[in-house]
Formats: sequence, C-alpha cells, structure tokens
Amino acid sequence: MREEWRIIAYVVTSGILVVMLYGYILYLYRSEKSGKRDYEKYGKLALDDEIDSPVIEDKPASERYKDEK
Amino acid sequence: MFFRWIERNPFFMAAWISLVIAVAGLIEIVPDFAKAARPVEGLKPYTVLELAGKEVYKKDNCIACHSQLIRPFKSETDRYGDFSVSGEYAYDRPFLWGSKRTGPDLHRVGRYRTTVWHEAHMWNPPAVVPGSIMPAYRHMWKNAADIETAYAEAVTVKNAFHTPYGPGIRKGKEAWEKYKPTVLAQARKVAEEMKGTEGVSKEEVLKMIDSGKVPEIVALIAYLNRLK
Amino acid sequence: MQSNAALEYDYSLAKKFTFLTILFGFLGMLIGTLLAAQLAFPSLNYLLGEYGTFSRLRPLHTNIVIFGFTVSGIFATWFYIGQRVLKVSLKESKFLMTVGNIQFWLYFVGALLAVVSLLMGITESKEYAQFEWPFDIVVVIIWVLWGLNIMGLIGIRREKALYISVWYYLACFLGISMLYLFNNMALPTYFTSGGLGSFFHSVSMYSGTNDALVQWWYGHNAVAFGFTVPIVGMIYYFLPKESGQPVYSYKLSLLSFWGLLFVYLWAGSHHLMWSTVPDWMQTMGSVFSVLLILPSWGSAINMLLTMKGEWQQLTENPLIKFMILASTFYMLSTIEGPIQAVRSVNAIAHFTDWIIGHVHDGVLGWVVFMIMSAIYHMTPRMFKREIYSKKLIETQFWLQTTAVVLYFTSMWIAGITQGMMWRAVDEYGNLMYSFIDTVNALHPYYVIRTIAAIMYLAGFMMFMYNIYKTVTAGREIEEEPQFRTPIAA
Ligand code: HEC
Repeated sequence: MREEWRIIAYVVTSGILVVMLYGYILYLYRSEKSGKRDYEKYGKLALDDEIDSPVIEDKPASERYKDEK
Repeated sequence: MFFRWIERNPFFMAAWISLVIAVAGLIEIVPDFAKAARPVEGLKPYTVLELAGKEVYKKDNCIACHSQLIRPFKSETDRYGDFSVSGEYAYDRPFLWGSKRTGPDLHRVGRYRTTVWHEAHMWNPPAVVPGSIMPAYRHMWKNAADIETAYAEAVTVKNAFHTPYGPGIRKGKEAWEKYKPTVLAQARKVAEEMKGTEGVSKEEVLKMIDSGKVPEIVALIAYLNRLK
Repeated sequence: MQSNAALEYDYSLAKKFTFLTILFGFLGMLIGTLLAAQLAFPSLNYLLGEYGTFSRLRPLHTNIVIFGFTVSGIFATWFYIGQRVLKVSLKESKFLMTVGNIQFWLYFVGALLAVVSLLMGITESKEYAQFEWPFDIVVVIIWVLWGLNIMGLIGIRREKALYISVWYYLACFLGISMLYLFNNMALPTYFTSGGLGSFFHSVSMYSGTNDALVQWWYGHNAVAFGFTVPIVGMIYYFLPKESGQPVYSYKLSLLSFWGLLFVYLWAGSHHLMWSTVPDWMQTMGSVFSVLLILPSWGSAINMLLTMKGEWQQLTENPLIKFMILASTFYMLSTIEGPIQAVRSVNAIAHFTDWIIGHVHDGVLGWVVFMIMSAIYHMTPRMFKREIYSKKLIETQFWLQTTAVVLYFTSMWIAGITQGMMWRAVDEYGNLMYSFIDTVNALHPYYVIRTIAAIMYLAGFMMFMYNIYKTVTAGREIEEEPQFRTPIAA
C-alpha cells in the first residue's frame, strides 16, 4: 500500500515539475514577445565586465518589477 | 506571477533551487528506510573480531577492486552463489557494495574459500592464482588490528541502533577490559587454523595474539569467513 | 559611481586558489598515472610499503582530483568571475576579503591533513566521501565560508542582474551543502562508547541498503553539482568572454539550468541498478537519465552556437579550441551516461572499466580542459603578462586530446570485453571463463591506458610550465585585454 502512495507522489511531483519547466519556457518567450523583458541583453554581462562598465540593471528586480502592472 | 517571483530575488531563487534538490531525495530515499533496514531472519551482528576485520577491509580499501553485491543474473549466481537481498546488509555500516569488480565479488566468499586459502592468497596472490593483479598485503601480519575501536563501534551501534549484542558489550574501559579475552579467544581460533607463510610462522601469529594483539590478517580472515 | 575610477578587481584570492588548482591537479594526475600502471604491472604496488598499494592510493586520487583540483578550480574561478559579472571588487569589503583568506588557509591546511589521513587508512570507505568526521567538519566550515562570500558579494553587487554563471555557482554551493551533510551523518564511536578506541572512527547513521541509497544519491549528485554545474558556469563566462561573442541564446541557458537541476536529481538511482533498490525506482532512474540528455545538450549546443560565424577563431585561438573540445566531450559523456543507465546495458557495464572510461572522458575531456582554459584566460589578466608560448599550448592540446581518446576507447573495450566474458556460457549453459581469465584479457588495455595517462600527465606538465613561465617571464602588458587572451607566438 505504501509503495503505491510513493509511486503516486513520485509521478505527481515530477508531473508538477515538468509542467512548471514548460510553463517557464512559455513565460520566457511570452514576456520577451510582449516586449516586457529582453533576456538576450544579459548575455552582454560576460563581455562588458570591467568595474567601470555601465551596468545593465541598476535596480534590483524586486523594485524593477513593481513598476509593471 | 510565480516565475517573476523567483527571478525577483536571488534568495528566492536559492530557496527554490534547494527545494528542487531536496524533493527528489525525499521521495527517493526516505520511504524505503524502515523496510530496507530490517535484517533477514537469523542474521547475527558482526562479532567484535569480525568488525575489526571489516575495519581492515575498509582501511586497506578492498572496495577499490571488490564488490559485495550479487545481482540476480544466472551468470552471477552460478559464479558467486545466491543473489543478495536487502536484509542481509542490515548490520553493514557503511555498506560495502563497491562499484568496481577488478577482482571477483566477495559477498559469499566465506562459502568457498577457507582460512588457509586466504592466508596464502593475501600473502602472495599470484602464487595462488597465477596472473593475479591483486597486491600482496604482507603488512597485515605485522600490524595489529584495532580491536578496541571495533568494540567501541559495537557499543555504539548497540546503544544507538539497537543492534542485538549481548550484555557483554557495554560502555567504558572496564567493560572492554573484561570483554577483550573473548576477542582474543576468537582470534586464536582462527589463527590455529592457519598454516604459516614463508615470512611469518604460525607460532609468531599465535604469540602476537597471546601478547594481547590481533594481527590484522587474522581479523580480516575472520571477517571474510563470515561473508556467506 | 564616479569614484570607481581608481578601483580595481582584487585577484589575490583567485591567484591563491589557482596555485592550489595546479598543485592538486598535478598530484591527482600523478597518482592516477601510478594507479593505471599498477593494474598493468602489479609489482608497482610495493613502492611505498603499505601506503603504496592500489587500494590505499585510489581514494587519494579521487579525493585530490575532486576536492583538491576541481574544488580549488571552482573557488579560483568564482573569485575571478564573481567580482567581474557583479561589477564589484573584493577590495570594497574588508569582511569578505578576510573571510576569503580564512577559507583559503583552512582549505590548504585541511587538504594536506586529509591527504595524510587517507594515506594512513583513516576512512569512512564511502566512495568520494571517505573523510572521517573531523575532516567533514572542516569541509563544512570551508564550504560555509565560501557561501558567505557568494552571498556577500551578491549582497554588495553593483550590477543588479545576475549573470547565468552566478546561478550555477549558487546551485553548486547549495547542492553540495545538502548532499555532503546528509551523506556524512555518522556517530563518532569514541564519544558514544565512553572514550574507547580511535578518536577518528565513526559509524554511519544508515545501514546497508539505506546507506547505499543515500550514498548514491550523494555520489550521483556530487558529480552533478561538482563536475557539471560549476563547470557549465565557467564555460558560460569564459567562452563568450574569450571569443567576444555573447552567449547564443540566454533564454536557452536559463532553461537548461532549471532542466538540469530538476532532472539530474531524479536520475541518481541508476547507480544501483539490479541491486536491492525497488524496481520501479530503478526504471525511473533510467528514464530520467535519458531525459537528462536534453538540458545537458541544451548548454553544450548553446556553446557551439555561440561560435556561429566565428569558427575561424577555432583555428586561431588555442583557448577556444580547448573550450569547444571540452563542450564536445561534455556532450559525449552526457550521452554515454544515459546509455549506461539503460537497464540491459547497465547489466553489462556496471562493475567494469567502461564506467571508469565514462568518468574519465567526462573529467579529463570536460572538467580538466575547461579549468585549464580558465586558468590560461585568467593568468594574463591577473598577472598582466602575455601567455608564454603558443606552441606549447598547441602541443599540449594534441597530446592531451589523443590521450583522452586512447583512455576512453581502451576502457570501453576493456569494460565491454570483461562484461561479456563474465556472462559467457558454453552450449551446456556453464560459465566459460574463470574470473582470472577475464582479468588476463584486460592486460593490453591496461597498458594502453597507462600510456594514455602518461601522455595526459605530460600535457599537464607543459601547462604548468607554460603558466610558470608566463608568471615569471611573460612579456608584460599594460592594459587588460578585453576579449582574446594574448599569447606569444
Ligand atoms: C588491484 C585490485 C585488487 C585489490 C585492491 C584487492 N584485490 Fe582481491 N582480487 C583481485 C583480483 C584481480 C582477484 C582475482 C585473482 C585472485 O584470486 O587473486 C582477487 C581475488 C580475491 C579473493 C578471492 C576471491 C575468489 O572468489 O576467488 C579474495 C578473497 C580477495 N581478493 C580479497 C581481497 C581483500 C581482502 C582485499 C583488500 C585487502 C583485496 N582483495 C584487494 C584484485 C584486487
């Protein structure tokens, strides 16, 4: 009996995780399409990494996101 | 939205990473715990001498070349004997399944090898099995096995995990002094079956035991004989 | 922010850990070469008395490579990358500098003592978790100090966006913390028995099958969080930086990150196939191992595509060559792993040298190549000197690449040969070979492997020499190069 519960728990959690992973893919592409966010600009972080290079985000995300509805 | 929440703060992300890591472990490992720890019927805990032998096995890291896990294939059961079941390992802390078989599996070696065979083999493997690439372990005749630590381990597992040891296994120096002759007697019994090698005679081994020290090889053989 | 004009990154910690990376890399590979030779020529077991047998030295090799070489490589690159992508200097925080220095010295001294303890045979005998409890405590302290540094640096960062590499380092830190703690739960017998026996000895909290479950949960994921996650973090920084090309798709890198975290952990039970672990779990282990190809290849393909339109760099810049080859080996070993996790393949492969081959195409081809390129990239910037010799790098590259190929092909053949011989039966169903027949059959492959090991070690010594010459005699450069690492022809 306990074994069944465990299989259920296993399948359900991995199911949830799969859904979330795919949800995340959707989220990424959607928010880029709608122009809310540009992820690719973060790729520059590795290239312009002198201490006096301009920063890409000067506010932490928690504050940045407040401005959005 | 959820994803935005994670992206928002590195520490939320850290929490989420930890959660993802932990969940898998929880579901995979925890539910099996009680069941897998139950010993098979008639399984006896290791004697103190055998524990000391197991320590020698660990110290010289035989696990680098030997497994103790017979898989349920005909080719394995023909070669090594019945396949292994969970309950047989109930007193193995740590487990010694190994991951590489440069040498054969040893889980049931006590069924088909004897004290004398081991003695000759550990002294010089290629002399017993031509072409063997196993190293000789001659220092085991000189070094004394740490029977006191083995006893300390027995006390620990008895108290902490209720391993069924007799009343002789108790905390403290005194209890150990009282128990030590039992271990030496067990060692003597093994040593008496030995024949002696070209380098160390049987008498020298016995003499060492009578002086209160058990050569590593004697403890190791006691342990190997117990693997059945 | 105007006041930063004079501010510079502080590389002193990165330098210190780079030194350790090279030291431990050399030691680990030297011992590895001896081990390879011992299996081909057993008389080599007696060079150091009881301390020199194959079995005593093997944990030394694995632990030095994992906890010595790779972990110092992770620390060194963190103290380099971390500052740069967060655009904040360690100079700005006395506290973090002090923590970092304590971490360094504790690590150095702890590592030396741990090496001695393993030589003496003081061991818990759990693979890749051999250290006895006092050393475990030191490991935990070092790790916490490192965590403090990561969090601290993130806390004072100027660049508020976290680059993907930082995510990987963070995951490495968290993952290893959890794994290490749970797997090493043990009771020190000295204290529980009223002061009897050895102070160092401990007994595992888990027994038998449970211990095995926890151990392979650890073993598998330690590879994930030690050999995969942080190394991917390195390549996400060093390849774009060296080539001047931003990563091909940043979104793909985020996806692969979560995919890797999620899938890798479920695949652990494939190490226990055909054992006493429940069947359905072993099956799930296989399924997830196969799924693991996706996120792993996601990262690797992302790296290859980063070079799109810039392939000429591959011929011009030896560092690019190293990194691209590293990604390729990463792809190879992440497809090989799932294949070995298929139950019927596992039945043959498990316990054989094929597994050893798999580990080594991953570690020699991926981890070591990546860490060496990282050091080649960092050294001119840390010491303001040009790399001493391009010729030497080129030679080293070909020598080591040939060595890796020789290594894994010989071990594949050895493993499959032995696996097949163990199960071979004659027409009456009797086993055809005694065990020693299957050992004798491997001799030629063990010899080839030894040659491969010597070649690889020679290549590593060229690397050491090149770095040494760079630091002491390389042509000085005034300005930090932005992308391509300057290398004297
Ligand atoms: C380098 C790898 C290696 C190491 C380390 C090693 N062995 Fe072996 N062992 C072998 C090989 C190969 C064989 C098969 C040939 C032979 O019997 O000598 C073998 C055979 C054996 C056998 C005979 C099993 C049988 O079924 O015939 C025993 C018992 C044994 N080893 C015990 C040990 C012990 C105890 C240790 C640790 C002190 C140890 N071995 C360390 C490689 C190794």
